[in-house]
Amino acid sequence: MEVISQNIVYFIIAIAILVLLLVWAYVTRRMQKDFTTVTWVLIPVAIAINGVIGYIVGQLKLPVFLDSIGTVLVAALCGPWAGALTGALSNFVIGMLTNPTDWWPWIPVAFFIGLVAGLCANAGLFKSWWKVVVTGFLVALTAAIVSTPIAVYFFGGITSSGSSFITAYLLQTGRDIVGAVFSTNFLVEPIDKISTAMLAFAIVQGLSKRFLARFPRAENVQTEGGASRTQLFIAIGVVVLLILLAVFVVSRITGG
Amino acid sequence: MAIVNLQNVTYQYPLTDTPALQNINLQVNEGEFVAVIGPNGAGKSTLCYTLAGFVPHFFKGELTGVVEVVGVESHNSSLSEWVLNVGLAFQNPFNQISGAKYTVFEELAFGLENIGIPREEMKTRVEEAMELTGIGDLADRSPYSLSGGQQQRVALASILVMQPKVLVLDEPTSQMDPIGTREVFGVIRKMTERGMTVILAEHKVEWIAQFADRVVALYEGQILTAGKPREVLTSDLVIDKGFGVSRYTSVARKARKQGLWSGSKQLPVTLDEAIEGFGK
Amino acid sequence: MHDRLSFYYYRDSLLHRLNPLTKIALVFGLILVSFVSPYYWTSHLLVLVVIIPLIFVGRIGREYLNAALRIILPATAFLFVMQALFQPLEGEELFRLWFLHPTLESTLFAFRNAARVFAIASSFTIFLLTTHPRELMTDLTRRGMPPQIAYVIISTLQILPQMQAKAQTILAAQHSRGMDTQSTFLKRVGSLVPLVGPLVFGSLVEVEERAIAIEARGFTSSHVKTSLYDIPDTALDRALRWIFMGLAILSMALRIWLS
Repeated sequence: MEVISQNIVYFIIAIAILVLLLVWAYVTRRMQKDFTTVTWVLIPVAIAINGVIGYIVGQLKLPVFLDSIGTVLVAALCGPWAGALTGALSNFVIGMLTNPTDWWPWIPVAFFIGLVAGLCANAGLFKSWWKVVVTGFLVALTAAIVSTPIAVYFFGGITSSGSSFITAYLLQTGRDIVGAVFSTNFLVEPIDKISTAMLAFAIVQGLSKRFLARFPRAENVQTEGGASRTQLFIAIGVVVLLILLAVFVVSRITGG
Repeated sequence: MAIVNLQNVTYQYPLTDTPALQNINLQVNEGEFVAVIGPNGAGKSTLCYTLAGFVPHFFKGELTGVVEVVGVESHNSSLSEWVLNVGLAFQNPFNQISGAKYTVFEELAFGLENIGIPREEMKTRVEEAMELTGIGDLADRSPYSLSGGQQQRVALASILVMQPKVLVLDEPTSQMDPIGTREVFGVIRKMTERGMTVILAEHKVEWIAQFADRVVALYEGQILTAGKPREVLTSDLVIDKGFGVSRYTSVARKARKQGLWSGSKQLPVTLDEAIEGFGK
Repeated sequence: MHDRLSFYYYRDSLLHRLNPLTKIALVFGLILVSFVSPYYWTSHLLVLVVIIPLIFVGRIGREYLNAALRIILPATAFLFVMQALFQPLEGEELFRLWFLHPTLESTLFAFRNAARVFAIASSFTIFLLTTHPRELMTDLTRRGMPPQIAYVIISTLQILPQMQAKAQTILAAQHSRGMDTQSTFLKRVGSLVPLVGPLVFGSLVEVEERAIAIEARGFTSSHVKTSLYDIPDTALDRALRWIFMGLAILSMALRIWLS
């Protein structure tokens, strides 16, 4: 497939950067500090939360997934690498227990969701409602970017989820595959991932400071000036703005 | 030489205003069975965590004073080395299931795998521990399928299998039904009869009165009094603070006020003593 | 979701006795060959020549059929239909319906991809059906995987179904009260939150005590870990792994030679 060989260079560069980052984190021992006993015990619980909430949401037939809340939680409390591992293992195990074809191809996506969420949290973007919205948006962007090549390569743009009908339609109206898949992701992802980040933040709000202090990156979630109502409204405002932006961008891509 | 030596131990959890333990002085000899009583929040759990090394290594915070077990100081040891000498079991049996193993036998072997015990010795130790705790017939069952009492005995066995020098138990029967309580107390008694040094935080004073060598009463992070069970459990200091009182003691105390229990006679702690005392 | 702890079924078969790494090598070899091989009919051949015989060797016919019919076939069929209808490959059109116009090329493309996914999914299924997680984890740890990863995977495999069962109870209670058909969507979500909340928070607060419990059992000990079980790795295992690797390399060579 020509599309793949064109983009393969970007793919290789991205992998190289990732490997370098990983090696640096390991060698400087930054990574090891994030993986305490509490981290290892949290990860299975976070994966279970991913599975349960994703399942309930699925039963409710909502147009979102909400199956990464645990991943974002670990990323915020234990850092990007723990978050990345949680995402990858989550897709691996849930796929093993239900349907591998639905979950395993998306392991890299889940990996990056955890990684980016963790990096945002380290940068202080998990300390108030509107900052969490920004985190969610960045995670959505990453998820859209990483899932596009997978959808295109493994499934020719088609996956067994609802959003693939949209892709199919866009394909038929003459769009190039990558563009079609990317536009789909751009519609669904922000809503899903911003909600995910906000729900993870809500969970953190509900846990006692004493409990949060156990985790290696507890400082990521020390809220500044309390998470007040007004901040929540600001956050909702930002969400609306971002969704409008996404719709605008998509319409430019499909129209142009 | 005391096997456990606490001198002037003061500890404060991070992000708190008051110390959880203040000026604790406690020496325990090898083979002694010491019970710790006190109301909720008195510091019993903190004391257990300190003895087991989790204070300060797990909980961080400020620990001053000397904490010594088997001659090794807490400050000089890593947590993973410390747990080889001191075993800890606590209230909630479900939370003590590692989750990493599919059968009780494997669960017991989990700790031994971690510390690198050879396979043959592993199997021997596991079988011994199962016999001690009476869970031999549960060997092939999943730990999650057991009753609370059974799970707590599995937790105890998982610690005993590590062959610690000191056993610290933090209210192991609080969440048990009467049968489970009896099972767990049975195991503890067996261990004390074998000469294990046991430190047990408990509310069930009647049982403590019968079997403990010494009782330590904690109140608001400090040792209120300590001594022989009879003395501590009938002492006014403890009774006035409103904890650690057996039913028989309260009844006899009220009776004494009414002149129905002779003033000079020792207050009873157990049923037998009460019967004997009232009978005269 | 499955309410069993794992896919695994115990049978007395050669496949069950093979070392887990050998089976992993088989799966990866199969993936490689099906992707790299230049021939159109490779995946179909693999299913006939590899998958089907393995089912008999492993004596897991009924379980495989169950998984194949319930999971693999529907997913593969869906993929086939979608790709046949929508993959933009030029060629002779097969029919035209509304905005659907599949071509011969796209149908063939879809057929090849579907067979590929089917073969890969089947091989994974066979692997999972014949390998107990504890076996796999013990072997991988022996070969150098960090034991903490083994801990996390098995712990997840046990905790997930438990949480899942609790979630089922919550949903069943809703269903029995008729909430899923009679109430508004918002009411449904509103009644779920006070139930799912404690489920989530309850499982989180356990984390602290469980961490203490496994620390007390030497989880962070720096000793070299030993294992209760010995997973055998026989000469047959090694030979098979070499064969699989050889076949994979062969198909890669074939691809390069033919292009």
